[in-house]
Amino acid sequence: MSLFSFVSIGNADVNFAGKTVTWVVPFKEGGGTSRFARFIQPFLKKYLPGNPDVQIMHIPGGGAIKGSNYFEKNAKADGTFIFGCSTSVIVNVATGNPLVKYNLSEYRPVVLLPQNTHWFTRSDLAEPHDLSKIKERKLVLYALKTPASADLFHIWIYEKLGIKGAKPIPGLSSSGGYQAFLRGEIHLSSHGAANYVKKVKPEIEKGKVVDLMTLGIIGADGSVSRNPLAPNAPTFPEMYEKVNGKKLEGDDLEAYYAIGAAWSQASKAMMLPADASDEIVKAYRDAAIKMTNDPEFKAKAVKALGPFPLIIGEEAGEIIKKAAVFSDTTKNQLNAALKKHKFTYRVQ
Amino acid sequence: MEQLLAALFQLFEPTHLAFLFAGTLLGLIVGILPGMGGTSGLALVLPFVFTMEPSHALAMMIGVLAPTTTSDTFPAVLMGVPGTAGSQATVMDGFPLSKKGMAARALSAAFSASLLGGIFGAFILSISIYYAIPIIMAFGFGEQFLLVVLALLMVGALTGDNLFKGIASCFLGLIIGSIGTAPITGDPRYTFNTLYLLEGVPLVVVGLGLFAIPEIVGLLDAKGSIAKSLNTKKGWFTGLKDVVKNWFLVLRCSTLGCLVGALPGLGGTVVDWIAYSHLKQTTKDTSQFGKGDIRGVIAPESANNAKEGGALIPTLIFGIPGSGNKVLLLGGFVLIGIEPGLDMVTTNLDLTYLMIWSLAIANILGAGICMGFSSQISKFTLVPYYILAPVMVCLIFFATFNINRDWYDFIGLLSFGILGITFKNFGWSRPALLIGFFLSSKVELLSYQTQAVYGLSFLSRPVSIILIILCLATIVLLTKQKFDNNYRSDLIKGKLTQIYYIVILLCLPLSMIWFTSSLDYRANLFPISLSVIALSLLVFILIIKIADLKNLPFLNNTLMKFARSNIFEISGNFNNQLFYYLSFIGFLLMNFIFGFPIAAALFINMFILFHNRKAYVSSICISAVLMLILWSLSSLLTLQFPNGLIGLLIDLPWWLGGQMN
Repeated sequence: MSLFSFVSIGNADVNFAGKTVTWVVPFKEGGGTSRFARFIQPFLKKYLPGNPDVQIMHIPGGGAIKGSNYFEKNAKADGTFIFGCSTSVIVNVATGNPLVKYNLSEYRPVVLLPQNTHWFTRSDLAEPHDLSKIKERKLVLYALKTPASADLFHIWIYEKLGIKGAKPIPGLSSSGGYQAFLRGEIHLSSHGAANYVKKVKPEIEKGKVVDLMTLGIIGADGSVSRNPLAPNAPTFPEMYEKVNGKKLEGDDLEAYYAIGAAWSQASKAMMLPADASDEIVKAYRDAAIKMTNDPEFKAKAVKALGPFPLIIGEEAGEIIKKAAVFSDTTKNQLNAALKKHKFTYRVQ
Repeated sequence: MEQLLAALFQLFEPTHLAFLFAGTLLGLIVGILPGMGGTSGLALVLPFVFTMEPSHALAMMIGVLAPTTTSDTFPAVLMGVPGTAGSQATVMDGFPLSKKGMAARALSAAFSASLLGGIFGAFILSISIYYAIPIIMAFGFGEQFLLVVLALLMVGALTGDNLFKGIASCFLGLIIGSIGTAPITGDPRYTFNTLYLLEGVPLVVVGLGLFAIPEIVGLLDAKGSIAKSLNTKKGWFTGLKDVVKNWFLVLRCSTLGCLVGALPGLGGTVVDWIAYSHLKQTTKDTSQFGKGDIRGVIAPESANNAKEGGALIPTLIFGIPGSGNKVLLLGGFVLIGIEPGLDMVTTNLDLTYLMIWSLAIANILGAGICMGFSSQISKFTLVPYYILAPVMVCLIFFATFNINRDWYDFIGLLSFGILGITFKNFGWSRPALLIGFFLSSKVELLSYQTQAVYGLSFLSRPVSIILIILCLATIVLLTKQKFDNNYRSDLIKGKLTQIYYIVILLCLPLSMIWFTSSLDYRANLFPISLSVIALSLLVFILIIKIADLKNLPFLNNTLMKFARSNIFEISGNFNNQLFYYLSFIGFLLMNFIFGFPIAAALFINMFILFHNRKAYVSSICISAVLMLILWSLSSLLTLQFPNGLIGLLIDLPWWLGGQMN
């Protein structure tokens, strides 16, 4: 009780008592961002000053652009509107989609939920953690949803690892791609952490599938550490060094950080509008910190959200800026990869 | 096995049962309303289920689907009007039985046959799921591509009154389905630079427009042939005894229904006829058929309910709809984040079993309610259609708005509404259009994927060859049965309208070619190829139509007779239906001005009073009750009403169409 009274003094101006907070999610119900929002929702009500009702408003459509534009146009800065962001929302901005009307890089992030990508192949195609046999193959097929999505980064990754036979098969979702992979129709496959644990780990244990690498976990200082779910698998920078004989640096490192920010660090995010005041941002961040200390949250978070700790605070803002604003050299690198595979789509 | 039982326990949690029960009740009502079937019913609930937890939503959706083919027997037997497309054959003997005063016997036989068929279907489904993994692993891109294409061909060939019109409907659906972002290159196709069309037309809009609206205007036009007397008291026991006596027939027809249902794309519209003709072929004494033979009720009813389980097989393991209403079910899967395929038999096996149990229990519930409350339920068939219609239109509008909260959806709804009305009147196939629309992106992607992995070599893989043979055999076998009837061209009036109609239809492929020709070849190859095929089909149909109109002699050889059969078609008074359709546009304008709540109340009262000036008490009561239901639904699910111009000028409370919050 004493903690509560302290908070309400600390944020004298910010009180949401009797108000309703609208959480705009630019996706369908049941998707990852919706599940993320629904998991956080009760804790937000519990820890925001004044315990406001939090309602989730799904506005799917236009590849997440419709809901995002809606938020930009309608969100009030008084803390009663928050935004559920995800990699695709960021990629829309980073790749310069002309329909985007939201100014994401100026938004005030409260919480980021990181993810990580695992790459793997069939055990008859390669040794674990070793790309050499894959690189010898003439044809290495992999799934690619569309070049305008975050899957675009796969093209860049395979390009930088010198897999000459890599050829994307378009229009495959990650789950459809994984099925085709199990049927032996495609050679390389990848999954996020949750599906990796659920679907890929059992196949690895059966000896049918082997780990290749992970994207790696990028720390606040730019260091990259291995993914605790596959601690023996090298990270992308390690693999890059092994394959190319030199450290990942320069333009390639810059592109990796940008891709890592969009794809991994800011995989899901909760944000306030750009013009939200510092007091409101602080009230939200305080609530988020209290949430992470809640025993119920601790008990359920790993199962619901994955093993990677939430990123809260100023650091989150830096990551979003990095993820949403690609430098020209990064864009050129991505476009070169797109051009090589004869895609007409270009990052703007 | 463990998951099978776990799913059963999960289903018996009170909330699950409540959703299943609510769904079942809704499905029963939808089935009773003549013409409205599972497709319209599911399209109505889809905008609301996706706010629910996935397992609740599943229970509700299955609840809606399962009993429609049980309760559709009421209008079939009592009024001689099929309640859904699946009970057309039931009318053949059910209605004569009812005229002989044996309605109760026919109903009880139908319900128990239906119940047994439904359970049988669920049983077969649960066994097939057990063996699904090797099947899924054997179906690569090439086999899936063939499966989809063959499914489309079968639907086109068998659901239309005329083979070529059916296949053309299919291609028109494929073309409409290709509107939106091109999957390979990301180019916008046929979107006219709007955000609305970027993801294509929403499935629910297509479903409601194509199925619900034409049925409503169709029945308004027919003025509802209302049952005069309802003698459903005596004979219940006789009906039960009939089913027990014919247990082998029930078993055979259930198997047949299950098999036909499992053929991707088929089901609904053909399965009852197949069962009926099977019955005729295997019976020695056929003299009573069409005059009130109880077996003529038992056969189609057990088959059309057994097909539900069968149709779920391709739906769950390949994402290829087993019948028209499964398209909407798949749409619901997408909304709640379930992807058909391997996951359904591995990681999501609990959800699959939940569906199977829901199916079985909804069938029992449905048949139980139908038997237990038959005299109350059969009164539904007494409600004049001019009272039901405006209520249904309001519900459709409410559902439509809650898909995306987008006014454009109304334009989509009414466009597909008029398309559905004309398709229904002029004998084109709405199921083929819907399934083509739904499978379009799948066909396109699979063709690229197959090409990338196999080239043309996929055709020589063993599973492919089996598929091709199976499909051709089915089409040949079933078309023979279907097109034997005699087409009388001279009975049809207004042929010129139908010729002009083709010219309008030609605009779609032509404009598609025009607008996509400047795109990259990977973005326009698919829509342009489809358009070229559709154009040739439409021109061919046009030629046959003109030849039929002029009665040219070359139509008289056998092959041409086949192409000519049902080339013109007319059901009901088209102008009349157009008039009712225009009143819906009026309702849209009222919505635009007043906002939904006021417009709905006004529309219901005006519509009922227009038909019956003395019914003001009921019109006021009905509009009040409907609004109360919608208000509670809105506050429960945080839904919003369309707010009109008035809502922009004056700050209205939410229940009159103002902003929520």
